[in-house]
Amino acid sequence: MTATTAACGGDSDSDSSSGKTLTMWTFKQSHVKALQKVAEGFAQETGITVKVEAYGPDDVYVTKVQAAAQTKNLPDLFEVHTTGDDFAWGGAGLLTDLAKDVDDAWLGSYLETVRKDGLVNDEFYQKSLAQDAKTKGIQVGQRWSVPLTIGTFGIVYANKQRLTEAGVTASPTTWEEFISALEKVKAKNPDNGGVTIGFKAPTTGLEWFLQPVAYGMLGPDRFHALFGKDRAGNFASPTGTQVLETYGQITPYWQAGTQSLDIDAADLAFAQGKSSFDIGGTFTLAFLAQNGMDPSNVVTFPVPAPANGAIKDLSLAPFTLTGMSVSATTKNKAGAIQWLKYLAKADVSATFAKEALDIPPTDLGADPSAAVGPVLGAMIAAFGSGASAYNPGDTSYKPGAYDGVPVASTLMDFSPLKKKSAADTGAQMAKQIDAFWAKQ
Amino acid sequence: MAVSTIAKGPSPTRRAPSRGRTRYRRSEVAWGYAFVLPAIALFAVMGVYTIVYGFSLSFASWNGFTPDWRWVGLKNYADLLWADPQYAPLVHQAALNTMWVMIAVPVLTVLVSFPLAVLLNSVRRLKTVLRSVYFLPHVTSGIAVYFAWVYVLQPDGAINLLLRSLGLGSLQQPQGFLGNPTTALPTLIVITVWTSVPVAMMLYLASLQSVDPSLIEAARVDGASSWQVIRRIVWPLLRPITAIVVLLALRDSLQGFQTFLIMTNGGPGNHTNVLGLQTYRLAFLSQLSPTLGLSSALGWMLFVGALILAAINVRALRRST
Repeated sequence: MTATTAACGGDSDSDSSSGKTLTMWTFKQSHVKALQKVAEGFAQETGITVKVEAYGPDDVYVTKVQAAAQTKNLPDLFEVHTTGDDFAWGGAGLLTDLAKDVDDAWLGSYLETVRKDGLVNDEFYQKSLAQDAKTKGIQVGQRWSVPLTIGTFGIVYANKQRLTEAGVTASPTTWEEFISALEKVKAKNPDNGGVTIGFKAPTTGLEWFLQPVAYGMLGPDRFHALFGKDRAGNFASPTGTQVLETYGQITPYWQAGTQSLDIDAADLAFAQGKSSFDIGGTFTLAFLAQNGMDPSNVVTFPVPAPANGAIKDLSLAPFTLTGMSVSATTKNKAGAIQWLKYLAKADVSATFAKEALDIPPTDLGADPSAAVGPVLGAMIAAFGSGASAYNPGDTSYKPGAYDGVPVASTLMDFSPLKKKSAADTGAQMAKQIDAFWAKQ
Repeated sequence: MAVSTIAKGPSPTRRAPSRGRTRYRRSEVAWGYAFVLPAIALFAVMGVYTIVYGFSLSFASWNGFTPDWRWVGLKNYADLLWADPQYAPLVHQAALNTMWVMIAVPVLTVLVSFPLAVLLNSVRRLKTVLRSVYFLPHVTSGIAVYFAWVYVLQPDGAINLLLRSLGLGSLQQPQGFLGNPTTALPTLIVITVWTSVPVAMMLYLASLQSVDPSLIEAARVDGASSWQVIRRIVWPLLRPITAIVVLLALRDSLQGFQTFLIMTNGGPGNHTNVLGLQTYRLAFLSQLSPTLGLSSALGWMLFVGALILAAINVRALRRST
């Protein structure tokens, strides 16, 4: 789907070349209106209008940028997946290095935990040297983006009304409580009491669900070892089998047919009441609200860890999900940077967040609910840090050219498809991860 | 004398181009080229350039963003066929699935479309209406129809509902026909056959109408039953059409992937991945990985496969006629 929207009038090429208009591309349809709204204030303040164009879903966006790069027809600004698109496009020479422009005063606008996101450090540089690395060409010290939204994966959305009807009055805090809640809701709602996740993108099951459970179960070091080469601790090991068997307890509670749904369809099924639980991220709420789900009927909690796991109070650490990058071909770099600085202002980013139902990278004060509403506010309040918080943005323990799709497809053969045993699945996953290590 | 006369006159063995050169004026030649030039330019850009570009890409590693390609020689081909533990197993599984599709789709298409064409040819009333009805799947094929099929095949879709209401609950698929790895590929094969039957049926129908009625009449006079007429006269006469139908179905099975992309995206897991879809995935769904060269290499291997199939088919066609 492609949607094109002009934030303000006057979108001619002459305006663009004279610096009066900036063109910005995003892959997030839910961000268009919010960006438009804050762009109005920016236009009043600076006289520069921002034209926001959305191209989605993600693969369409990437293809659009590929084509535009070949025809040298890039916009002034991009919304990017941080430490993903930004590094790949920066390394390929499509973006402006912002390292010299982003000073301490600017960085001070962001939460301390995300200030370094978008900056190439030695770890990312070393990963870029792998044979099939996606980020070839990056150098230590380059900054290819600044944060726009933060958040995390591994959040369970539950239908509040159905939980209550089934006698589940408190959000589950352990894996066992979660399974018990699933059992109760499923018993009360046999046809629509299950869990949905967008398995058509197989990585959702692995990265949004299994990984947080495994992290809480094993703790940081043993969790990282699952993705290592050592057969004594990786997915092929008894520990790996144990993790998979725990994850497999969810199998009876998958909503029928969830393995055929993409992420939007899975969220939609939840919004329409065809399932009672949905696994997503902080960004899922905006989609649910857009599709008619009443946010007050939603309970959210992090994917919980087993009660006897290594981490007793598992939480989720936020990281920068999307950032803003400036094109290398922009004719108005100064205007583009002005726009990025404007977006980093606390009041502007709060307005954006409220409109987009997404979480900004700025400090929203002691009561984030006042700025972004109770559901999003509760998610922000539940963010953690340190060793007890699982950070999906940390990929330091994975091989440089790692691609989760084949590994996650194998996991699907175990759950929900029940085609393989836990041990066989673990052995196959370890073999696939080994293939990435071989390219290191 | 005679010799000198022959030497002076136009030689009967002189080549035609030499004569042609003297016949056309330069302006005429220029006009000729001017008329041909747009077609040549179009072919050069749309044909030669893209073919050379695509073929070159199959020897390179590129993610579509970097200004330069990294030349890797034949590595892409080797990686896809056996060398890379990440890509080779995917290609092998996709090749196996493609093989099943290539066997099932042509066979089922012929098995459905030929009898249908014979029946339609023998119908006296509502022939045009029935032809239109049976041609509808071809006219309506497209993204919307595939999405409609997805809904119909879901756990709470019309097929399961129909089976339940007919008392055939044991045939229902609780996970949906596309959610069960055992039924997903056969279901997609059926959908592919559903889309390819109309054209095959029209080809058979057109050919049936060109069969000399006196042949059939003679057979009837000799006491042949309807089955014998179809088996011994009509089927052999229509063998060239069968060859065309099979070739078209094979080509679609080998290179087509839209149905698979829209309906399952190769899932659940990887159980309905086919080579055409794998090519597309490597080109456009591998996020930022430098796999455009791999995609091109796989595309060229499919092209060679299609070429071999076409050659076999042409040979079979010649033999049958």
